[in-house]
Amino acid sequence: MKLEDTIRALYDEGVEFILIGGAAMGLQGSAHVTKDIDICYDRTPSNIGRLAKALRPFHPVLRNAPANLPFALDAATITAGLNFTLSTSLGDLDLLGEVSGLGTFRDVLAASEKREVCGVPCKVLSLEGLIKAKTAAGRPRDLYVLPELRALAEAKRKTGLE
Amino acid sequence: MTTEQEALLLELINNPPPGSEMAKAKEFGFDLTLFHSTLRLTTTERARALSDAAEIFEAQKQSSKDNS
Repeated sequence: MKLEDTIRALYDEGVEFILIGGAAMGLQGSAHVTKDIDICYDRTPSNIGRLAKALRPFHPVLRNAPANLPFALDAATITAGLNFTLSTSLGDLDLLGEVSGLGTFRDVLAASEKREVCGVPCKVLSLEGLIKAKTAAGRPRDLYVLPELRALAEAKRKTGLE
Repeated sequence: MTTEQEALLLELINNPPPGSEMAKAKEFGFDLTLFHSTLRLTTTERARALSDAAEIFEAQKQSSKDNS
């Protein structure tokens, strides 16, 4: 997983996205380790075009799909779908048009914070947003991280740390 | 992280107030001392740490495959 390179590639192409999931947890200060990157993307036609263009150099294919399954991550494909689990040369990447517990890109945006990674501005889901999303997802692996996320939010609130 | 913030954080880690989220996480089994490491990093340093950890994870996964 090349997190900095992924953020830079999306930023350079002007893609509107928010880092969510385990990578957002890590950037918020969680000790959780993840091997994939999850983003929520804006589903406007122009942004979908930019997203497809940004990822093209990294050879995205559907993760865990048969190797001979025809697939091209172009604007038409993204428009026809919503969520995609991909393997790319940057690592595993999940694209989400909506996030359970939060809603569409606009809702996720309202729950995000601006951060900077390697000099690149990046929107990251807030701890409160992560707690809502993980609670709504409700899988054992999501519920498992809730005590840490709640404690982290409290520690940051009480110390003023970012 | 300022000296004051670090002192406050260490106090929360070592003596989480009863009923607090820190206390609940500790009771759940989470190692609160990890926050002392993660919260002192910048966002960029956290991003690099995540990428490095993922790389180690992948290397171990590949090693397991090669040895099976």
